[in-house]
Amino acid sequence: MKAIIDCNSFYCSCERLFLPHLDNKPVVVLSNNDGCIVSRTDEAKKLGVEMAGPYFKAKPLIMKHGVSVFSSNYNLYGDLSWRVMETLRIMLGKDNVEVYSVDEAFLDLDEFAQKDLQQVAMNIRETVELWTGIKVSVGVAPTKVLSKVANHLAKKNKIATQCVVVLDTKEKIAKALQDTPVGEVWGVGRQYAQKLIEMNAVYTAFDLTKKTEEWAHKNLGGVVGVRLVKELKGETASVMKEELKVKKMIATTRMFGTPVKTITEIKEAVATYIARAAEKLRRQQSAAGIINVFVVPKEEPTNNTYFRHGPSVSSYVILPVATSATNELIKPAVLLVDQLFEPGRIYKKAGVMLSGIVPEESIQGNLFIPQAKHTERKLMDMLDNINFSQRDDILKFARSGTKRNWKMRQELRSPRYTTRWDEMYKVK
Amino acid sequence: MEVENFFGSSYGGSKRFTQQDVPTANATGFGAAADDYMERGIDLNEQLIRNKPATFFMKVSGNSMINAGIFDADIVIVDRSIKPVNGKIVIAIIDGEMLIRRYEKTFNRLRLVPETAKLSAIEVNEFSDFKIWGVVICVIRNV
Repeated sequence: MKAIIDCNSFYCSCERLFLPHLDNKPVVVLSNNDGCIVSRTDEAKKLGVEMAGPYFKAKPLIMKHGVSVFSSNYNLYGDLSWRVMETLRIMLGKDNVEVYSVDEAFLDLDEFAQKDLQQVAMNIRETVELWTGIKVSVGVAPTKVLSKVANHLAKKNKIATQCVVVLDTKEKIAKALQDTPVGEVWGVGRQYAQKLIEMNAVYTAFDLTKKTEEWAHKNLGGVVGVRLVKELKGETASVMKEELKVKKMIATTRMFGTPVKTITEIKEAVATYIARAAEKLRRQQSAAGIINVFVVPKEEPTNNTYFRHGPSVSSYVILPVATSATNELIKPAVLLVDQLFEPGRIYKKAGVMLSGIVPEESIQGNLFIPQAKHTERKLMDMLDNINFSQRDDILKFARSGTKRNWKMRQELRSPRYTTRWDEMYKVK
Repeated sequence: MEVENFFGSSYGGSKRFTQQDVPTANATGFGAAADDYMERGIDLNEQLIRNKPATFFMKVSGNSMINAGIFDADIVIVDRSIKPVNGKIVIAIIDGEMLIRRYEKTFNRLRLVPETAKLSAIEVNEFSDFKIWGVVICVIRNV
């Protein structure tokens, strides 16, 4: 049997861990730059605060009901996510845990007897909460897609299910599928659901199981759809796979805290993002051969739109030799900005993407370029070490600027309780 | 850690070594005897942290536990996976507030007891909103 474990309103739960007076109170967490709501508790949901909605729209509602609002504190969430996953690995063994996202993991429960599953799932939920303080829901079923269905039901009905749903018999599975609208099936988007309902009279997950593989191939996006239907019928169509570690592409992109008008500031931002991306590149011991830079200018405001981005403008350069040295990447990236920048426009966002990624040890030489020196790599190691131990990018390239007026807004961020000595929780 | 300590002139570095650390001491032919006893140095994490995903650090603010030898600005290590038993020092949540206190559980009574004469014990009853956050297992202090 497979299980999926999913943290309940994960970011909000992290905030509540150190502020227990917020238990049972409405809480929301905002995205980068305090733009949108990315996590909300059940209490906030009940008040009508919309998920993924822009913060400014929900603000009157939030003020009226005294909802607690936080900027994203990724240091805290990252640490607690690691704790949740580590707890699972300790309980079930490393090979039986597949981390799926920051707050979800698939578990392989094949070694447990069917009659024990309810107890096992309950035990997992309780242990994770005891150790890490994070509340989770567990869905158990014969396949991954079905375990998602089970998890949905657990979340929808937290009190009755105690956040655990086990679908271990045909009858239970059928009932669960009938109770699941097609739009809530994993992988079926809202638009797709609309189409299925209108054109095919498919209303619930159960209706999908009545369809043939040929039908799924034609109407559900090819192979992916076939797998989905198979999994809903209880046949395993996707195996537990290892976490994807070496990325084929590394991107860093952010909204500016305030709109940016000058080329110098955009260059600073691009250099900063390159530095961040290059650090990630070195961490996975690879080098990149292609740099892509893009900027997003602000659309001329019209009367009824607030949040419009213009189309992004991008350009790329292929490097003579793949590299992971920040300085070697910054230079061509900044040159690209010269091509992209149009004076007089206001920019909202910029980003970089490194691709053409190869393992560091197999960098192809170029006949006309002198071999990259080893000192470069040593310098980068040094830089990474110092930045890792001292934090906050204490060493940076001058190109990335010193004032950084364009930096992200995070006005309501809580302390980084678990990762900084000077921000530890103070207990009386 | 203060950045100045690291880069300032006061930083002594880690390069103070003894003769045993110098490989050429082996030139005598006798120095190698100590090599058989080489092992990993003492690691505080190993001793102080029993269950890493469940272990948190907190800073003490105030004198509520002064008679137990826990002073203002001390760092306490808190393990959430340990069961609180009578006499342990705990981080407790009472009516939404986190407090460091001694957990006193007798047959029909539960109290959170401070270790100072200046504060009084908190009686926990069925009307209190009460939870244990974690159990304090260690105190760290600069001297």
